[in-house]
Amino acid sequence: MTFRQARWDEPAVWDLAPARPADAPPQISGIPEKMRRKEAVHWPELSELEVIRHYTRLSQMNFGIDTSTYPLGSCTMKYNPKVSEVLARRPGAADVHPFQPEATVQGSLEVAWRLERILARVTGLPEISLQPAAGAHGEYAAMLMVRAYFRDQGELAERTEVLLPDTAHGTNPASAAMAGFTTREIRSKEGCVDLEELRREVSKKTACFMLTNPNTAGLFESEILEIAEAVHSVGALLYYDGANLNAILGVTHPGRMGFDVAHLNLHKTFATPHGGGGPGAGVLGAGAKLGPYLPVPRVVKEGRKYRLDYDRPKSIGKIKTAFGNFGLDLRAYAFILSHGEEGLKHIARRSVLNSNYAAAQMGQYLPRPFRTLVKHEFVLSGAPLKAKGVRTLDLAKRLLDEGVHAPTVYFPSLVDEALMVELPETESKRDLDAYIAAFGRAISDTPENLHAAPRSLSVTRVDEVRAAREPLLSWKDLRDAAAKAETP
Amino acid sequence: MARWIPDESGEEAALLESLGIPSTDALFTDVPKRARIGRMGVGAALEEREVVGEVDRLLDRNRPLSHFSSFLGGRLTSRYAPAAVDAIVSRSEFYTAYTPYQAEASQGMLRALFEFQSLWVEMTGLDVANASLYDGATAAGEALLFCRRLHEGSRFLVPASLPWEERSVLENYASGPGLRVEGIPYDDVTGRIDLDFVRSAVAQKDVFGVLADVPNGFGHIDEGIPELKSLLGDVPLVVSADPLSLSVLEAPGRYGADVVVGEGQGFGISPSFGGPLLGLFACRHEHVRSAPGRIVGATTDTEGRRAFALTLVTREQHIRRSRATSNICTNESLMALAFVVYATVVGPRGLARLQSTLAEKARTLASGLGGVEGLKAPRFDAPYLGDFTVEVARGTADEFLDRLLRRKVLGGHSLADPRPGATRAAERILVGITEATTEKDIQKYVAAAKTAIAAVGRSA
Repeated sequence: MTFRQARWDEPAVWDLAPARPADAPPQISGIPEKMRRKEAVHWPELSELEVIRHYTRLSQMNFGIDTSTYPLGSCTMKYNPKVSEVLARRPGAADVHPFQPEATVQGSLEVAWRLERILARVTGLPEISLQPAAGAHGEYAAMLMVRAYFRDQGELAERTEVLLPDTAHGTNPASAAMAGFTTREIRSKEGCVDLEELRREVSKKTACFMLTNPNTAGLFESEILEIAEAVHSVGALLYYDGANLNAILGVTHPGRMGFDVAHLNLHKTFATPHGGGGPGAGVLGAGAKLGPYLPVPRVVKEGRKYRLDYDRPKSIGKIKTAFGNFGLDLRAYAFILSHGEEGLKHIARRSVLNSNYAAAQMGQYLPRPFRTLVKHEFVLSGAPLKAKGVRTLDLAKRLLDEGVHAPTVYFPSLVDEALMVELPETESKRDLDAYIAAFGRAISDTPENLHAAPRSLSVTRVDEVRAAREPLLSWKDLRDAAAKAETP
Repeated sequence: MARWIPDESGEEAALLESLGIPSTDALFTDVPKRARIGRMGVGAALEEREVVGEVDRLLDRNRPLSHFSSFLGGRLTSRYAPAAVDAIVSRSEFYTAYTPYQAEASQGMLRALFEFQSLWVEMTGLDVANASLYDGATAAGEALLFCRRLHEGSRFLVPASLPWEERSVLENYASGPGLRVEGIPYDDVTGRIDLDFVRSAVAQKDVFGVLADVPNGFGHIDEGIPELKSLLGDVPLVVSADPLSLSVLEAPGRYGADVVVGEGQGFGISPSFGGPLLGLFACRHEHVRSAPGRIVGATTDTEGRRAFALTLVTREQHIRRSRATSNICTNESLMALAFVVYATVVGPRGLARLQSTLAEKARTLASGLGGVEGLKAPRFDAPYLGDFTVEVARGTADEFLDRLLRRKVLGGHSLADPRPGATRAAERILVGITEATTEKDIQKYVAAAKTAIAAVGRSA
């Protein structure tokens, strides 16, 4: 291994400038004394070069897709096309205020409308809203729609429960709970929903079943039509978590599988950058039952003009300021235009091909808990490593030393010491082979080296237990801790 | 077709061969026939230059703000962002990363987020900030749920003047647990919230939180806000603050706020037709385990060096699932980075000077519009820092604004709730200013306003 990350002895931004006496900000007439800030905000005054150098150095101590294969399962870390970055910064996109009159934003409205129409075809769900700011935000909005729907049906008092499989993303139960539902997990059988168990568990109490397909074990839920039937037979609704849509683009879609409502992550399937943890964009798609409940405004076309329609009496209202994350909608639109029908289908084929290839190779090192035909991602169990005193966490850290990112670890929780690997369609065979080779070196290394990893990054193993036990959450905390340490 | 799926060398054939299958069809045998679809109807792929042409053709139908004298204000602004902000945000080590789950590989983003959190702590006078939420409105929604974890009750009080969008978002956050959002009446002259109303509501023991905004939904400063906490006892106070205003206004933590939320878009983030935005959230140490969202903490590595990691994760959805404090996963990290870079490039004194400049320009505009027959500007007798409310004496705000548009003046936005059945404040306009607003822009607005309001009068 020859990789070395930059290791700058870069001070915190507040240590770059000498402390200076605090002064009062300028007085603004009319502001009463009791509301005036007495001392300027405690923050350094720096030259622009000092600021640029500081954050450039920080950036050099960070992995991104542009520097490293980044196989986080269920995150779909694919290449973020540069052309989208250029387009999103055009004045016609960036320098447009959401409260401008409709006549002056016809371009933005048309982009939104066109993207919605395409996503309706991709999902098989005719009604689309671009308003949610992230996947979990879309889930939450959908659960509010489910709630509003059953309220209108007069069944809300009875339908208090949302069911989900034990492989569900943590956001699913969290979103359902925020929307006022209780949640219950359905046990999986060999990595998929146990249909018999589901049939036993659904009832008039069930408002919704939330499902990711392919699921987080990387498996396609082949009994999806039977699942949909079981859920619908008791009058409940079926929710599609679109985190893993990449694997099935053009093969099937939520509408055909029987889902009533879905969210998509534009920052996964449609390649908008993940931004170090956001922004995202969590599009909502709905069929006939839930369509009327989507957030307002909706974009409508009348003749050749586009308009924002607020006249949706059943709508849940707003879930965010203004509209969706337009900057990301535009990037996704450019991505779709670049691929076209065949390109989108190619995405599914190639991502699944990459995944099965890597699974077969990496499966030589660690057991694969479920069936071997996987979709866009696969799961390995690091449990055998425990015999030599090594854990999945050590393996993940050792992979970082190879200059590649680790897979998602310890999820899904039904697999002991899980690693969840997703290598999207933009990873070349050369990069796959390099990753597999790095994995082989990492797993064959000595326990001592695995425990000592990482050694090639800007820091060695980070003490996360201490971070939680003695929380230091801001500069202020650091100052207070330093002052306390000085007091005998 | 784009070059983004690597197969120029025919490498897919090698991958298939390694798996011993003739085509990728063999990889989809787990999708039942009845669930298959045919064509989606998406159209053919375009070359990159064609994509650029097509998107530019659509964007050309927009009239960006530079085309107008713009006085759009409110929580979202079009203030200038120094080029340095985009230079950092465009570093692909930052923008192509994801949530820093592997701390050692992500110290850059973790440190930047820690600096962002620290800045919001300094601005608000509270102890802990999270690493961002979606926008100001959802941050207020999370604050509502946060308050309910700290205090019993079913009523959450907000100024009746709160922008309708925020009210709607809050009502959604309240609806899940069956809580109620209730408007606090305001004084018709000053726009100040009725403290007696708050006092008597709190006395009924069913209020679990109170939110006040600075500036308020009318753009004005409510002088009663610092007294609010003394009426609440242990009922949590949420202050929704414009971050720029905190460069000159007292830190809300100093007058008793338990939570400070805000919209961070004005700090280096382009308006982009409404997103991405940035939700700000800070609270006190003793409540941190009830806080929503990601939090970065300082710790050490095995060699004792300063290092950073996501922390207090047992609050979060991936660990706690249905009992998590929030469903937040992806947030707005890159926008948080823009926020801290913006504030650091401009500097604390620069921010205060900027706010002071906006206040001066706003006064010039208000006195100009105040002299126009048929307009009341500012509508409320209360201090302001940049935004303020104008009221038309005839017709509606929309009619007036339409006429201004003909003169290439974006005269602000109507405060009315556009949903059918809602009639609130159809004659009120929120007017804003930026550092780019010139004396000439202001004169143009005043002149256009005279003709516009006169014309509305004639047609009415």
